[in-house]
Amino acid sequence: MSKLAKVFVFAEHVDAMRELAQGAAQLGETTALIWAGDKSQAGGTDTVYYLGELSNERILEHYAPTIINLIKTEQPSLVLVESSRKGRLMAGIIAAAMGTSVLADAAQITVDNGVVTQRMVYGGAALSTERSTAPTTVATVSAGIFEATDTGKAANLVEVPFIAPAPTVKCLERKIKAGESVNLRAAKRIVAVGRGFTSPEELQLAEQLAAAIGAEVGCTRPIAEEEKWMDKARYIGVSGVMAKPELYIGIGISGQVQHMVGVSSARTIIAINSDKNAMIFNQCDYGIVGDLKTVLPALTAKLSK
Amino acid sequence: MKIVACVKAVPEEQDISIKPDHTLDLSKAELKVGQYDLNAVEAAVQLQEATGSEEPLLVSIGTPKGLKNTKLQKAMLSRGAGALFGVADDSLDSIDALATASILAAAITKIGGVDLVVCGEGSGDIYSQQVGPLLGQLLGFANLNAVSRITPRGEKLEVERTLENEVEVLEVTLPAVLSVTTDINKARIPGLKEILAAGKKPITVWGAGDLAMTAASNIEVISTLAPPKAERKQIVLEGDSDENISQLADNLRKVL
Ligand SMILES: Cc1cc2nc3c(=O)[nH]c(=O)nc-3n(C[C@H](O)[C@H](O)[C@H](O)COP(=O)(O)OP(=O)(O)OC[C@H]3O[C@@H](n4cnc5c(N)ncnc54)[C@H](O)[C@@H]3O)c2cc1C
Ligand SMILES: Nc1ncnc2c1ncn2[C@@H]1O[C@H](COP(=O)(O)O)[C@@H](O)[C@H]1O
Repeated sequence: MSKLAKVFVFAEHVDAMRELAQGAAQLGETTALIWAGDKSQAGGTDTVYYLGELSNERILEHYAPTIINLIKTEQPSLVLVESSRKGRLMAGIIAAAMGTSVLADAAQITVDNGVVTQRMVYGGAALSTERSTAPTTVATVSAGIFEATDTGKAANLVEVPFIAPAPTVKCLERKIKAGESVNLRAAKRIVAVGRGFTSPEELQLAEQLAAAIGAEVGCTRPIAEEEKWMDKARYIGVSGVMAKPELYIGIGISGQVQHMVGVSSARTIIAINSDKNAMIFNQCDYGIVGDLKTVLPALTAKLSK
Repeated sequence: MKIVACVKAVPEEQDISIKPDHTLDLSKAELKVGQYDLNAVEAAVQLQEATGSEEPLLVSIGTPKGLKNTKLQKAMLSRGAGALFGVADDSLDSIDALATASILAAAITKIGGVDLVVCGEGSGDIYSQQVGPLLGQLLGFANLNAVSRITPRGEKLEVERTLENEVEVLEVTLPAVLSVTTDINKARIPGLKEILAAGKKPITVWGAGDLAMTAASNIEVISTLAPPKAERKQIVLEGDSDENISQLADNLRKVL
């Protein structure tokens, strides 16, 4: 694989920075990180372009004109962007300023007469392979596709002069979200719940099964996004966590592709659903047609023995 | 306040089938409004209701098959918007996010005087979550995604963004492009009355030639293929008798 001349990384979180720095080193002759916030955390690339601190007066978005100017000056061949919410916004802003589109949510990136990425489309029903021949390609990169480097390689740190943005967005308040931290991507066993559950209390039935077999609890998107019964970090699928468990048990889950792609590599898939025509039964190893309120307590009791 | 919501017609995913050569067969898939664009329409309508402004306008880029289909037009217009502007051309099938954003920008400029553009979190088929951010930059408007609340504050808006680890509250000066999350609201379900009324709302469909736009793309789609399917045992027990549950427990124990 030939290498690109210059690969930039734009990340807002340290984990993603480490992964993307590794990706940049694989793909580029020279590498640079664009970073705002805690200066001491930046590293892993040949150069660090340091934007400045983050505060209510200066949120990441306020650095957009500075970043665009830097990219226009440096003309990197590729900008790898963390696929966080702010990363996605900045990717769009940079790409539009550079007259190109964004290669979104790349699950694989190679260099072959341009930058070639693979991503899921149609909710995971298909993989689309796309090639960008833009002078500067912008790609948002899914978590976990490059192994993180943990070395803060002594980088050449360049302070980038601030270019003030139009005063149209003022930050009034920033609140840290009180959320639990869970890493479903690393879980070996997952018990997942879907809309077949009718109340947050009923979820305990799944939690008890999970406890009995040492599994993490995950869910479908509507349980997290609509019902808000579980943290968003727990929903599995094309727009959530792409998990790689050995065992997946889907309960009260219809088995639509957007969810199932998130566990399609599981060694064993088990389904519990009251509708014998549910799609999940075509994609499972073992299944039972039954009411979760009956099946779960009995199953947990048998497995706890 | 003149508000536009962007909606995309997407194929019904349940009806997409896979051909033996792993390519997708979309021919039986009817078009519907992208699920997450319904939240954009709802956000626009709620803001209009809160500010007493004129009914929001919808803009949609697509093919004549989709945008000239009356059922789809009604699905778009039965949820509180006042009019639909479509840009339809067969050349606009499967264009990239920048091309979509630049046509949207041209249409919004042609409509004129737009204060706020609301986009969905992502389109139902491609879901790149990029058209809104690209559009905001192309128009030179204030540009935010992950918006989970919009409250009018005089001439400005107060906007909440839900990010991975934090929530931001921002004051936004119009004009702006806001991409909203799917939990910003519960999109209304139109009744028969709304669907009938939708048939009488004004619809303008422009052709590609009616707008000044440059949709040259430097991204090429090499292939779109269904991934190989894993073989599964598909041993399914019918009925939640104690015997069946015991058997399931035995099977489960084998893989623990
Ligand atoms: C662009 C896009 C991206 C998406 N991304 C994701 C994603 O990443 N992850 C995701 O999960 N979804 C995603 N979705 C949503 C997805 O399409 C489905 O809507 C969702 O996965 C369905 O969730 P569910 O199976 O919990 O609910 P449902 O489809 O409503 O299924 C509920 C199931 O419970 C069963 N049931 C009911 N009562 C009982 C009972 N008492 N006992 C046992 N079973 C019972 C029913 O038979 C039914 O099969 C996405 C959608 C779009 C458009
Ligand atoms: N063809 C289109 N016509 C109108 N709006 C669109 C179109 N494509 C995308 N959008 C808007 O942009 C958002 C993000 O789309 P995407 O970047 O494709 O995920 C969608 O939720 C829509 O609001």
